[in-house]
Amino acid sequence: MRRFRTLLLLAACAAPALHAAAFDDAIKAVAAHQDAAALPLFEAALNAEPDSLPASNEYRKAVIRTQEYDRAVGFYEKLTAAHPDAAFAWLNFGYAYVDKIPAAGSITQMILANKALTNFSKSIERRKSWIALYTRGNSYLYWPKVFGRAPLGVADLEQAVAIARAEPRKIKVYVRSWVALGDGYWKTGQSEKAKATWGEGQQLFPGDPQLQARLARDGEELEKYLYDQLDPNKRVDTNLAPLYEE
Amino acid sequence: MRLLAVALIAAGAAAGPPERGFEGRFFEDITVRAGVAAKHSNRAFHNPYAEVMAGYTALGAAVAVADFDGDGFEDLFVTDSAETGKNHLYRNNGDLTFTDVAGKAGVAGGNDAADATADALWLDYDNDGRPDLFVARFGHSRLFHNQGGGRFEDVTRRAGLDRYANAITTVAFDYDRDGDLDLFVGSYFQPIDIFKPKTPRFFPESFETANNGGGLTLWRNEGGGQFKDVTREAGIDLAGWTLDLGHADADNDGDDDLYVACDFGTDRFLLNNGDGTFRDATRETVGIDTKKGMNADWGDYDNDGWLDLYVTNITTDYMREGNFLWRNNGVDDKGTLSFSDVARETGTHDTGWGWGAKFFDYDDDGWLDLYVVNGWVSAGPESYVPDIFAMITRTPAVDFADARNWPPMGGKSLSGYEKKRLFHNEAGTFREEAARHGLDSTRDGRGIAVADLDNDGRLDLFVANANAAPYLYRNVRPAGPHWAAFLLEGRKSNRDAVGAQLRVTAGGHTQLHFVDGGNGFAGQSSRRVHFGLASAAVIDRLEVRWPSGARQTFTHLPADRLYRLVEAGPDPQPFTPEVRKK
Repeated sequence: MRRFRTLLLLAACAAPALHAAAFDDAIKAVAAHQDAAALPLFEAALNAEPDSLPASNEYRKAVIRTQEYDRAVGFYEKLTAAHPDAAFAWLNFGYAYVDKIPAAGSITQMILANKALTNFSKSIERRKSWIALYTRGNSYLYWPKVFGRAPLGVADLEQAVAIARAEPRKIKVYVRSWVALGDGYWKTGQSEKAKATWGEGQQLFPGDPQLQARLARDGEELEKYLYDQLDPNKRVDTNLAPLYEE
Repeated sequence: MRLLAVALIAAGAAAGPPERGFEGRFFEDITVRAGVAAKHSNRAFHNPYAEVMAGYTALGAAVAVADFDGDGFEDLFVTDSAETGKNHLYRNNGDLTFTDVAGKAGVAGGNDAADATADALWLDYDNDGRPDLFVARFGHSRLFHNQGGGRFEDVTRRAGLDRYANAITTVAFDYDRDGDLDLFVGSYFQPIDIFKPKTPRFFPESFETANNGGGLTLWRNEGGGQFKDVTREAGIDLAGWTLDLGHADADNDGDDDLYVACDFGTDRFLLNNGDGTFRDATRETVGIDTKKGMNADWGDYDNDGWLDLYVTNITTDYMREGNFLWRNNGVDDKGTLSFSDVARETGTHDTGWGWGAKFFDYDDDGWLDLYVVNGWVSAGPESYVPDIFAMITRTPAVDFADARNWPPMGGKSLSGYEKKRLFHNEAGTFREEAARHGLDSTRDGRGIAVADLDNDGRLDLFVANANAAPYLYRNVRPAGPHWAAFLLEGRKSNRDAVGAQLRVTAGGHTQLHFVDGGNGFAGQSSRRVHFGLASAAVIDRLEVRWPSGARQTFTHLPADRLYRLVEAGPDPQPFTPEVRKK
């Protein structure tokens, strides 16, 4: 409940009245376990405020629960066409494809991942945010080696880490960029840099379980662990709440 | 001399207590020495889509086992697919050497400009006691009647089987339990002339839900050497890209059901209604999948009395499908059969680009092990994967069914040079042991046949490889474990006794095996039913359920023998090939 109140507060402060009202109703529907009814309300909220991270985030969570992936893709397609400068709308358009990946066959996964990348790039073109750079960089790491996309991921993640380093307030979610950058170094054969990056992350975010798991492993064991971590059949955490809740 | 050698081998394999902690190799590559090293060649096409088709037709390396001449030693039929390639009928000389008698027998000519051999199956369709031969082809498949005396006659037209189909897999079992074997033929491409296609739209329309393949045809044995297409009549209506068929009595109701493994989309599980029809029970038993099913082999790997199923798919860096090991949960109170996929839990989910797989107990410890071959095209150092995905991710979306949209393969590799896997069953979980036993070759494996080729009580392996020489692996496991094998002969049932179930209780546990009619991709194993008995020197109880429904029970059978067992006949009789021959 506290989380819902926070979201409501954020939404009320940052968005036009129409957005706030629709978002409020959507959150109430979700709380009442009426995800299907919440979807059009979230969509109304996003039409009023396309860059709203909380609205998109809660919308996609409801989409995952209802498995209405194609609806979300269709919605974001229209939303970005109507609001081409809304960087976070493009970002969430990409996430809408990512959310569908675990429910898809192996070939469709590749098609969805490719479409997601296109939209992440459009988000970055509009705003070089930490979240967009981290997201695209991390996405590149899921691609098989034969495509040679891991170096592109490293480049994005280096920028994401640079942004996070410069931030005076180190919110917890930033640790993901250290985790992913280390993974990128590992995937491109730079194991020493990978460990140094995870080590730096550990100093900044002590006790992070993702970093601990990596630093505790080596050689083939670490290789297998990272391979499993980057399995497209496992749902990627696309929850953006830590960005605005902390 | 031959008798003496075999007797010595058999005695050596059976004596003494089970070896424990032996770390040596259980298989020896005897391919060249045995005279079966002739290389398989893929078909090269001469049409506008030839360079594309090269990537999708690296098939046709198959092996089928039967004692075609009745001398007590299992023989091998091994296919080729090149336009001028000859199929091989390797007659077993009884000393682990073979002589190719295909030409003399009249079964060598499986390939020409309009036909390419894809699979082969032995079946005694006329119940005369001599195994006949069905050669599945892209083109017109062929049925050869075994005339005896080492001669075969092409009876395809007379049997009513002369029809164009891009047949790639076949099994035979008596689905209607009328006492003769019916023929199930799975086809890959739809029935168009792929050698000279009149349309470019003959490729799979989707990578995950393609429904424009060759499907499945059921030829009912009408008796008198005649077959009739009863596919629709039997309630079968499939149009997938069939790669393999696997039959078994999954629900233990007395008739055999059928799993259809399909490339580019959903496998199908057909439950036999027992009235000459099947019901598509895919959704409620195994669910709808989007994978690339390649193989279907049944075996009770956990010895719980229900037959389980192993299906290979593609598991690589770029396509992590994972295989299925469908553990049979049995039938619940409401009469519903269900399966659970335990491939990941058992460590059998990742075998690369999987092809043929077979359950067999190579160390005779009483638990079914699993051998899996793999690899698609092993060619140059460049990978074909980016080309494929460039097509897949192109916008606007391309029409996959149009061969003109597919990239040429050139000399590139696609999941090539993959190591084969041997999973040792350790009471229901598996440990990979291919390297230890010298079975981890990197040729592009397709079909596996399991048979005791030297009658020494140890199961040998023949592996058919695409565009490469095969492997014949002789099982040389050390002495110790006991075994028993049964060669069944139906009377009221089909004479091959395909579908018969045998439950052996020895040493305190019971195993269920059955006579299969060609399960597994591109590989037909011996129809002899082999049990590993570990330290049990006696079978306490043998229960046989014949396809006719008749049951027989026997007790106190000594181990380390091959028995011949006739439906409604006396106790199983030890069967010694050499004596019979003399």
